Amino acid sequence: MKLEFTPEQEALRKELRAYFKKLMTPELVDEVSQTPGEGGGPLFWKAMRQLGKDGWIGVGWPKELGGRGMSEMEQFIFVEEVMRAGFPFPFLTTESVGPILAANAAPRLKKLLVPKILGGEIIIAIGYSEPGAGTDLASLKTTARKEGNEWVINGQKMWTSLAHHADWLWVAARTNPDPEVKKHKGISMFLVPATAKGYSLSPVHTLGDVRTNATYYDNVRVPEDHLVGEVDGGWKMITSQLNRERLSLVNVGSFAQLFNNVTKWAKDTKLADGTRVIDQPWVQINLAKARTGLEALKLICYRQAWSMTVGELSMQDASAAKVYGTEFFVELYRLLGEVLGQSSVLHMDSKGAVLRGRLEMLYRTASIITFGGGTNEIQRDIIAMAGLWMPRAKR
Amino acid sequence: MDFSFNETQKEVQGLARQMLTDLATVERLNAIDKQEDRFDADLWKQLAEAGLLGVAIDEKLGGMGFGFTELALFVEEVGRTVAPVPVVPVLVSTALPIQKFGSATLKKAWLPKIASGESLVTAALMETGNEDPATPKATAKAKGKNLLVSGTKVCVPFAKQSDAILVSAKTSKGVVVVLVDPKAKGVKLTRQVSTTREPWYEVVMKDVLVPEAAIVVKADKGAAAMKWVSERTMAALCAMQIGVSDKSMRMTASYACERQQFGVAIGTFQAVQHRAANCYMDVECLKLTTYQAVSLLDSGRDATNEVAIAKIWAGDTGHRVSYAAQHLHGGFGIDRDYSLWRYSLWARQIEMTLGTSARLLATLGERIAAGKAFAE
Ligand SMILES: Cc1cc2nc3c(=O)[nH]c(=O)nc-3n(C[C@H](O)[C@H](O)[C@H](O)COP(=O)(O)OP(=O)(O)OC[C@H]3O[C@@H](n4cnc5c(N)ncnc54)[C@H](O)[C@@H]3O)c2cc1C
Repeated sequence: MKLEFTPEQEALRKELRAYFKKLMTPELVDEVSQTPGEGGGPLFWKAMRQLGKDGWIGVGWPKELGGRGMSEMEQFIFVEEVMRAGFPFPFLTTESVGPILAANAAPRLKKLLVPKILGGEIIIAIGYSEPGAGTDLASLKTTARKEGNEWVINGQKMWTSLAHHADWLWVAARTNPDPEVKKHKGISMFLVPATAKGYSLSPVHTLGDVRTNATYYDNVRVPEDHLVGEVDGGWKMITSQLNRERLSLVNVGSFAQLFNNVTKWAKDTKLADGTRVIDQPWVQINLAKARTGLEALKLICYRQAWSMTVGELSMQDASAAKVYGTEFFVELYRLLGEVLGQSSVLHMDSKGAVLRGRLEMLYRTASIITFGGGTNEIQRDIIAMAGLWMPRAKR
Repeated sequence: MDFSFNETQKEVQGLARQMLTDLATVERLNAIDKQEDRFDADLWKQLAEAGLLGVAIDEKLGGMGFGFTELALFVEEVGRTVAPVPVVPVLVSTALPIQKFGSATLKKAWLPKIASGESLVTAALMETGNEDPATPKATAKAKGKNLLVSGTKVCVPFAKQSDAILVSAKTSKGVVVVLVDPKAKGVKLTRQVSTTREPWYEVVMKDVLVPEAAIVVKADKGAAAMKWVSERTMAALCAMQIGVSDKSMRMTASYACERQQFGVAIGTFQAVQHRAANCYMDVECLKLTTYQAVSLLDSGRDATNEVAIAKIWAGDTGHRVSYAAQHLHGGFGIDRDYSLWRYSLWARQIEMTLGTSARLLATLGERIAAGKAFAE
């Protein structure tokens, strides 16, 4: 047991920090600050391609796939630094869908898509949720039916995030409508190009200014090798994708940076009585609580990355990371917001906005991942069942 | 980053778990509770024979020669069984500083006897109104090459049963660390009753003669040495809290699978499962922050922030898991015929010892303000 980075990993962190200092030009920072974690502008895409060219996106991917062949730990370090830098990295494409696709897609699609993912050229949106299928995802109704050597997809997806920037969609559809078959055993995964005929979308605007989308599939036809993995074998890919997603969602990088920024602000800012904000005992307590929670989150993440490296990522740990992380963020935004005081409710466009209004915005986005990415109630069910051997809930 | 235990660590953990599970049974604990002192002398001997008391003591001095990590894993197992053995005061707070700072003579005099179980030793880390042993109010003045120590220490575990008490005292030149003989002239011990019934003592010292040979650390380095002792003791308490809270949680989960109400196991209720799941996350956070602190201390690296953070988690996790465990057990959880009550007491004692969450948050906050605790 040695919970310290190796000298090589320390060096990698340093290298990445210097790299991102250069990459994050003021113009790029301006562009990406306009939307929460979304990217999609011209400078964003330029930077993505640069990351790809410089071999960062695939740092932990095997060499055969075009990566650098380091481990999941180095991959995690890269993502942590990308987030710390405040770059809206499309981690669901690269960290979550990407590896599942690389392991399961048909050779032609794998050859087409993996280089584009590692090259920073594409975003893949995730089409699981539907108007009627949220937490109970296996009840989804979108269908895919085989016609000749094509699949024909029909249905509607809800909350398809980043679809408006996406080149491809990772879509779950029912391939076995037999009511006798268990719901989750009749679902398959498909890759749908955003250019396909019959595919359309409309925007959904949310509290936190995060734009998401409803997406529609009206007799969308894709060649048969756009099916990923086996027919009716989609559920396993969905759950392993979500396990990986859960880790990416709680990556500590951007939160560590936020903590440091608020700390610096509190040091640099004086109250009317001439004392600094950070001299107030209650400010120190809030920051200490934030720091204590962050430290645990950091270790949870590193342990997960290590588990993936040695190949033993367990369900209960992925769920614990997700619940702990997402609920801690809500608390973190409150603790740090209190330090800023009244200015924490000033919008980024307002005169007097502090730290680019980041906390005002983040506070509005914090609930998304307590119910999204597999709601925390279900994650707690999983922890109780897999981590504490309590009875599986009857539903 | 390596989160796995190596072979030696697994062996120490396995041996300790096996012995303590076999020997510190509920019947045995009940019997010990009838004694005046909550101490299982037979078990202590058996642990010595198995080599566990010397796990972190040099091979040349009768130990196994492993590091702080192995010792912490042993302490964790003691927590898991709430065994009545003073591993933290003897092996962590006292044997480690003797080994690290003591003269060759002092080490030879004490460490083999500690490893063999022949001698108990302890450390006096608390004073009334002062929980930082690096800034003692007790004083020492020179008498030739020897010292005369005066002052009062409180909550000293096993003071009467020990052959030496590690004491810090201030001099005009700084803090000294010495071994005081509890039977020496000028020492008065008064029994205190701690919540766990671990035997505690108030130690009043009036011009107690400490011979030069019993000085562990001289005045120029004593404060730093006591910080060293504090941090290791805190980390060991965190390790013990892992055992205590992990076991309470697992007892609760098993109980919830058996106990039936409304015709079903109470563990099928989502509200019950979720409170248990919250414990799981708390215990994970405690484990990871503690192992990090232990690992850094073992490598001899600075771990001031990490130890404080682990101890904050030990306080919070101990408190929350203890109450969740009691609550989810209903009445049986507090029945003295069932063993959960002991875990609740230990969780509380550890929470309140050497820095509570509130005090450590304040300390950490000061360090953040001073630029010493960035989120790297
Ligand atoms: C901004 C945003 C982006 C999103 N992006 C995507 C995306 O890219 N792709 C995608 O497929 N989906 C996406 N989602 C959808 C997200 O995954 C769902 O919101 C989530 O699965 C919850 O479903 P629901 O909203 O229908 O809520 P419901 O399932 O209706 O849940 C409502 C409440 O009921 C509780 N509940 C439900 N079942 C149980 C149970 N068994 N036990 C206890 N409590 C229960 C939930 O915890 C929750 O609190 C996104 C959502 C948002 C808001």
